Amino acid sequence: MAATPILDQFLSGLAAIVQDRDGAKLQDFLQIEPPLSDIYQRMIEELRQCYPPGSQSETVLQQRCEGLVPKTEGGSSWSAFPTFMRLYFTFMRDVNVENLLDTYNLLNGLLNQCVLALGDSQMGVVVLPTVLYLSKVLAKLAMGLDRRPELIAHILRMEGTNDQESIEKVTLVEKSANVVREAFIKCLTDRSGTPGPHGKPEGKRKGIYLMANLCLKLLFQCGKLRNAEQMFSSITAQSPPLAHFPTSQRVTYLYYLGRYLFSNNLFYPAQNAFQAAYDQCHCQALSQRNLILTYLIACNIIMGRFPSRALLERPEAQGLAEQFNPLCRLIVRGDYLAFREHLSLDSPTSHWFARKGILLTLRNRCEILVWRSFCRKVFIHAGYLGDPQAQAQRGPPPFLYLQKLLVATRWLQQKHKTPVANGIGHASENFSAYGSQTVLTQADPEFSGLTDFDTVAAPDADHEILEKYGDYLAPDGFFDEDGNWQDNVSGSLIDGDPDANYDERLLNPYPNSAYTEQANQPSLLMRELESILASLLAQGLMRGYLTHRSPRFAIPGARLRGALPTGFPNVWQTISTREQEDAHVPGWVKLPDPAALSAGPLMGGGRVVNLSGARPAGAP
Amino acid sequence: MSNTAPSQAKAESDQPQQQQKPQVLEEDDEFEDFPVEDWPQEEAEQASGAANGGNEHLWEESWDDDDAAEDFSKQLKEELKKVEASS
Repeated sequence: MAATPILDQFLSGLAAIVQDRDGAKLQDFLQIEPPLSDIYQRMIEELRQCYPPGSQSETVLQQRCEGLVPKTEGGSSWSAFPTFMRLYFTFMRDVNVENLLDTYNLLNGLLNQCVLALGDSQMGVVVLPTVLYLSKVLAKLAMGLDRRPELIAHILRMEGTNDQESIEKVTLVEKSANVVREAFIKCLTDRSGTPGPHGKPEGKRKGIYLMANLCLKLLFQCGKLRNAEQMFSSITAQSPPLAHFPTSQRVTYLYYLGRYLFSNNLFYPAQNAFQAAYDQCHCQALSQRNLILTYLIACNIIMGRFPSRALLERPEAQGLAEQFNPLCRLIVRGDYLAFREHLSLDSPTSHWFARKGILLTLRNRCEILVWRSFCRKVFIHAGYLGDPQAQAQRGPPPFLYLQKLLVATRWLQQKHKTPVANGIGHASENFSAYGSQTVLTQADPEFSGLTDFDTVAAPDADHEILEKYGDYLAPDGFFDEDGNWQDNVSGSLIDGDPDANYDERLLNPYPNSAYTEQANQPSLLMRELESILASLLAQGLMRGYLTHRSPRFAIPGARLRGALPTGFPNVWQTISTREQEDAHVPGWVKLPDPAALSAGPLMGGGRVVNLSGARPAGAP
Repeated sequence: MSNTAPSQAKAESDQPQQQQKPQVLEEDDEFEDFPVEDWPQEEAEQASGAANGGNEHLWEESWDDDDAAEDFSKQLKEELKKVEASS
């Protein structure tokens, strides 16, 4: 066997590093990414010559790597590490970076073994920087492959022909996220130092947020954000406070946490996370600040707080004003149809929001604010605002006839009426009796066979009676006197002429819900407007009550502050006051409250104690 | 590495039809790694924000529009008046 001077030197260097437990230096030693310096090229040459692929040479290589860790009575004390090193050498020997997919697979194996080495309670921490380094390279590779589907097309095809269709397909990015999550768990569950929320991060726990952030990045990339739920709850349960970690890790983590909370419609906690990330982010990190600000603004708009000019003029806010300002103006204006058109999928103004992943959320969550503005304006112009001069405590409270809101809605629909040919006409005559009356939607084909409400409601001739009760009066067939089935092919009346007063004997399962207003029956549109107002009231975005008979919105108790501030309270103040009651942000471990710490005897033994139910010492 | 060649050849043959796919997500939407690990809070604060004591007005909480002269309000008012008169 030829001499391997470089490899020998490399191994003895490694042995010293392991002995010194110098994780940073170990990572620096274990380079894998091109361009590799000359010394690595020479080592690779030696490996190819002396340890070519084959079980025999690899056994020898493995034996050489065993020497890197101290021997104990029970064999090697850290057996995962020599195997990892052997894999590192074979990786260096075999990898062909021209083939990204093979590189990915080899690297995935290498990282898996490194994570196993990380699991060692004594020595694991030494490979932590290496795990992070390999994870980053793997993540980069997986995300690169994800963007080039032609390189993995054959895998997708093989999976497609596989019989085991029930097995969920896992993309390379998700697969990488799963490996990184393993490393994250090893960091989180490390028992060195003081565990629980009181201890500063030591040992592997220093890597908690580095691994979490990388895993979150990958989960975002593959659209499997839901898989992060378990991570956030383990962090809540076991992590030291986030404040003990370096700023870059805190800001990155709070950004991803905010995105996760936002996608779960937890806007107030999300806003807290984004605000903290924004406040701590380096002022020169414009790209990161821009992303954080995008979502921070979206959260705030949903809760009724708009970005100021000063905020949108900041350097990192570049490009945000032209997206968010028109949206805010539409909310203030109250034209719900213009708002819908602005954020409709085929509108060019919606593309940016879609790309940022906030289109649907903004559309669904802000429309109620538009309706609030609309109702408010109708109330200002057509409501009874109360008599400010009236000193007497009697007299009706301010109110609005919902009929006025209905008129205004019809006017708005008329205003937006465009040729029906392009599909967004809003003329009232186009509304189907089976869908929304506020927005024109395509009638569901399921309803296409149904008779229109108008004709059903007012039968005035025999053929209409037949149309309504035909299945009963002229069925497909009947049993004759002898009990034999006879088909009624001609569709004639089986029992002769129907009773003229048929209606009176019938329980009408569909109360006369005529589409136009008649006979004191509120229209479908009125019903829908009542529902929208009820929703506004239920959310506290409007205050007062609704009367159903002669539909009205009334604002009692408005004498002191006036009808408008009472009936239409400030949105942000309403929501933030309600949300502040629970300041807890899931997934964000904060420093223990000093008051809670000094209250009782300190817990010893490093057990995790939930302080939320604790009472001060001496409390009854 | 013995299986490298065939898999690569296969991948290349798939390229033409796959390249048509539009790029939906732009890469700049990724949250980039920070070039430095840690920094003091002073470096996070805005030069402008620090200048006026950080009390810059960043959020508008009161945005309700009471301007009756604004175009939409004006039209709405006229419409409601019209209906009032005719009924």
